[in-house]
Amino acid sequence: MNDCQNAEMRDQLPDLLHERLDALARVALMAHVDGCMDCRDELALLRVAHGTLIKATPRVDMNFIVEALPTAAPRARTLSISRRPIWADWRAAAAGVLLVAGASSYTLLGRHGGASVQAASETVSAAPARSASAVPAPAPQPETVVAESSPEAGESTGLGTSRLGDLDEKQLKALLTEIDQLQPTPITEPDPVTIRVDSKGTTTPEGL
Amino acid sequence: MTDAPHGSGSGGGRGRGDDQRDLELIAQWKAGDQRAASALVERHTAALARFAVASGERNEVDELVQDTFVRAFNSLDGFRGDSSFRTWLFTIERRLLLDRRRAEKRRRDRLEIQEDDAATEYDSLDSVVADETERRMREAVKQLSPTQREVFTLRVAEGLSYKEIASAVGTTEGAARVHYHNAMRAVKEFLDE
Repeated sequence: MNDCQNAEMRDQLPDLLHERLDALARVALMAHVDGCMDCRDELALLRVAHGTLIKATPRVDMNFIVEALPTAAPRARTLSISRRPIWADWRAAAAGVLLVAGASSYTLLGRHGGASVQAASETVSAAPARSASAVPAPAPQPETVVAESSPEAGESTGLGTSRLGDLDEKQLKALLTEIDQLQPTPITEPDPVTIRVDSKGTTTPEGL
Repeated sequence: MTDAPHGSGSGGGRGRGDDQRDLELIAQWKAGDQRAASALVERHTAALARFAVASGERNEVDELVQDTFVRAFNSLDGFRGDSSFRTWLFTIERRLLLDRRRAEKRRRDRLEIQEDDAATEYDSLDSVVADETERRMREAVKQLSPTQREVFTLRVAEGLSYKEIASAVGTTEGAARVHYHNAMRAVKEFLDE
């Protein structure tokens, strides 16, 4: 059996056997094979070799193989567990802020509304002891409130048992002043500034 | 699922569509579909068994093919699709085969005994296959060098390109072509005797 001298054609014979050639290459090779006895012989040999190699392969139990394979961890599910969405964290933070704000409001109302005068007195008198950096120093007015909101005064004015609607004007002013002074963070927003530019290009700031 | 029939996954007509289907099945398996693994095994078992035999493995083909799949599935994250999935499997199987041979050689040198066993197995196949031409062909392939036999099998039985063969066997495309043509010449000479 001889080798065809056209090495390029001969090289493609296995691809013809496995139908891996595109249409043009296949037509060209088939035309060559039709006129080339060496290539016809080799193609016949390849068919026999192909069949023989397949027949000589032992049977393999695929169940035996599949049983040993690892189970795929569903990646999408794993990711959904490990990567919590960002909005959920924000929601938790927002819920926390609301809780704190609600508790603060409840505390303030309890102190000045339904709570006893003694509790209010303790709150105000304890205020100066707080850190100066955290809370502004209280003004002298709360001291007046303390003096006026003694148990005796409370009983006389009705602060110990009454609600805000029962306070007189002086007591309300004192309470508002106290609330103002309890504000934990000072307002730091700058006042709006408007810059006027005249026809000469001179700028003049306003609102300062 | 049954045994892999001789003719399944012969490699005939495999192309880009088959490679794409492999990638789809891999993606399905990664998503948790275990049936995709069975489908992949079904598609490639016969080819791996043929390559195992061509590479000289005769006694533990099942174990070798199983180990190949197990290793492949355990390292599927490392499969980037540069080559086809089947070529990648051939690479893994060949590496396993070399490891086994090294380990076996360390234990003891039983080359002569293995040759006797191999001859016996081929003799038993002879009784099943009556065709004289096929018997001669088996003898012709058997007398090839290990590398020639691997390349010849991948080219003729699986229809791999020289580039794919080079990737599977760990050589260059040009060397794979030379091995194939030397193997073909040796087969022709054997059959002409």
